[in-house]
Amino acid sequence: MKRINPASAGIWALFLLLTAVPLVFSLVYALLYSFGLTGVLAEGFTLRHWQLFFSEGRFFSSFLFSVGVALVSMGLAAATALWWVLRYRRALNSRVMSLALYLPLAFPAMVAAFLAFHWLGNAGLLSRIAWQLGWISEPRQFPDLINDPWGIGIILTHYAMATPFFTLMFKAIYADNRVGELCLAGASMGATRSEQVRRIALPLLWQKARPTLLLYGVFVAGSYEIPLILGVQSPQMISVYAVTKMNRFDLNTRPQAYIIALLFTVIVGGLLRWGMGRGR
Amino acid sequence: MRIIVIAVVFLSVIAGCGPGGQDAAAEDPRGLSWDEIEERARGTEVNLMMWQGDPFINKYMTEFVRPALEQQYGITLNISGGQGTQIVSLLLAEKEAGKKTGAIDLGWINGETFYQLRQIDGLFGPYADKLPNAAYIDWDNPFINTDFQQPVNGMECPWGNVQLAFIYDTLRAPQPPASFDDIPAYVAAHPGVFTIPNEFTGMTILKSWMMALAGDNSLFEGAFSEEVYKRYSTRLWQTINEIKPAFWKEGKTFPETLSALHQMFANGEVNFTFSNNDGEVDNKVNLGFFPATARSYVPYPGTIQNSHYMGITFNAPNKPGAMAVVNFLISANAQLQKFNPDVWGDGTVLDMEKLPEEWREKFKSLPSRRYAPRREAIQDRALMEPAPEYMIRLYEDFRKYVIEAD
Repeated sequence: MKRINPASAGIWALFLLLTAVPLVFSLVYALLYSFGLTGVLAEGFTLRHWQLFFSEGRFFSSFLFSVGVALVSMGLAAATALWWVLRYRRALNSRVMSLALYLPLAFPAMVAAFLAFHWLGNAGLLSRIAWQLGWISEPRQFPDLINDPWGIGIILTHYAMATPFFTLMFKAIYADNRVGELCLAGASMGATRSEQVRRIALPLLWQKARPTLLLYGVFVAGSYEIPLILGVQSPQMISVYAVTKMNRFDLNTRPQAYIIALLFTVIVGGLLRWGMGRGR
Repeated sequence: MRIIVIAVVFLSVIAGCGPGGQDAAAEDPRGLSWDEIEERARGTEVNLMMWQGDPFINKYMTEFVRPALEQQYGITLNISGGQGTQIVSLLLAEKEAGKKTGAIDLGWINGETFYQLRQIDGLFGPYADKLPNAAYIDWDNPFINTDFQQPVNGMECPWGNVQLAFIYDTLRAPQPPASFDDIPAYVAAHPGVFTIPNEFTGMTILKSWMMALAGDNSLFEGAFSEEVYKRYSTRLWQTINEIKPAFWKEGKTFPETLSALHQMFANGEVNFTFSNNDGEVDNKVNLGFFPATARSYVPYPGTIQNSHYMGITFNAPNKPGAMAVVNFLISANAQLQKFNPDVWGDGTVLDMEKLPEEWREKFKSLPSRRYAPRREAIQDRALMEPAPEYMIRLYEDFRKYVIEAD
């Protein structure tokens, strides 16, 4: 029988205690809550909360909107970051560019949302500049970049937050995996610049960055502060939708908040498993 | 297998180290005399959870209340930020976890929170009748002794009294709609500059508007009536939907928070904002947040007036300390300070007739409101809060019949 090092077992136990155990407990608790089996207002087993939840029919539109926002903002940010790293790698090493990349990482989501609110709102800084230039004569003529049904403000803010992070990540992967040297080797074998990028750099960077990109996508889809401030009531991103149900004046909607959390976790978990598996 | 055994043992050890074993219920001081309660409160810590979104209110609490309590009782008042929903969530979680001694002793609550906390049995009491200063409270006032049509019955202690007001800029909206009936014509003539927040204040506007459409406030007295709600909410949604395209952002979205609407008003993006405190405009102009041309008023036939309260939590670890704090907060001195528009501008819950002459004079000699109407001028336009179910239904139906309507 294989002997187990007690120190390593202790670390494993601590790891499980801090990660998997709370998650499993939370999911079980959410499930029980949704069936009326726990909670102060629980009345015993009931399917009423699930029936009310599905009769409202907002979950899937909210979920698709959240995934859509995550895909668009992440896609734009990843494309921009790749372009910078592949095109302006040397310039990114300068002190000014380093500062410009690291500084946005220090902004919490709430601050980023308020900055976007002040820049992009109908009476925001861009609108005032447009007014000064005579392009608009009153604030409401400025296009709706925040609190708009397409989630433009949410996407732009996530894009602004994710791009520096992805740039630093791609830059590090590029250096660690000697992508430049591999491209040079490709060039010595006759690969054009375009082929070096398409067949060597992009596949390598994508392969190494994929888990982080997927997880960041989950983070964006489940974000709260940015859609709370910059979003609209319909469609609502999933976290705002769940918190609205949780904090409603009517305490009887709380089980529906647990149902949202439960379904989101299960669907995203499934998607992640599928996404990670495909890359192997 | 061993890993699992070790993990289970480890978890058991951790669980055993928790405070559960020592989580004994705090004593109930209601059987004690006030002197004994004060004695037990001396030198203790009291944890208060309250909304901290207003610099004037925060300043009043930290620069007046906290030092006064320290000096009078040696009480250390710890204030943490959190609105009604946070208080309810915290107490729900503690109740579900079986915690007999909670994290907070006291919470600033209003009608919606009172309703929720009564549902979960989250309040300690009745306790208000034990407070010596409660003798000065205007208990005969229905806007004070009843909260969302629920008798207060000493389960919370009145702290301040306010009325919903419309705030406008006299430069941008020199002739605001004088009544709820005038709002549709005003909005249609001034597209894009009117909206309501999709939260507590917004729902209070909708309640007032629905009552204005009904034309008979007595219909909303007492228990919830499905028939009354159906009839007048249908009219309300019809009225709003007719002018919805002229709302801010064509009525496709509504500000999710009142502070966002305040910000848009300050930026000049909309012509109106609202406040559940009829005196708030003075406070915001004094802060420099609103322009000096901002004013507030109450449209005809009136708006909802209600009180806010202090509630002691069911599992407050320091109930004597919490009672001493509340007794101080309803003292003539603390209420006078709070009443001053340059300090906070919150309406008092004290009955001037019951107060000693000296304090009555002090209240009279305070600087009057400069930008808000005097309380006496709007008292005849004060509507009682209807039963909580009206608000629950308005929240749901505003989304269904206005926000999501084509």
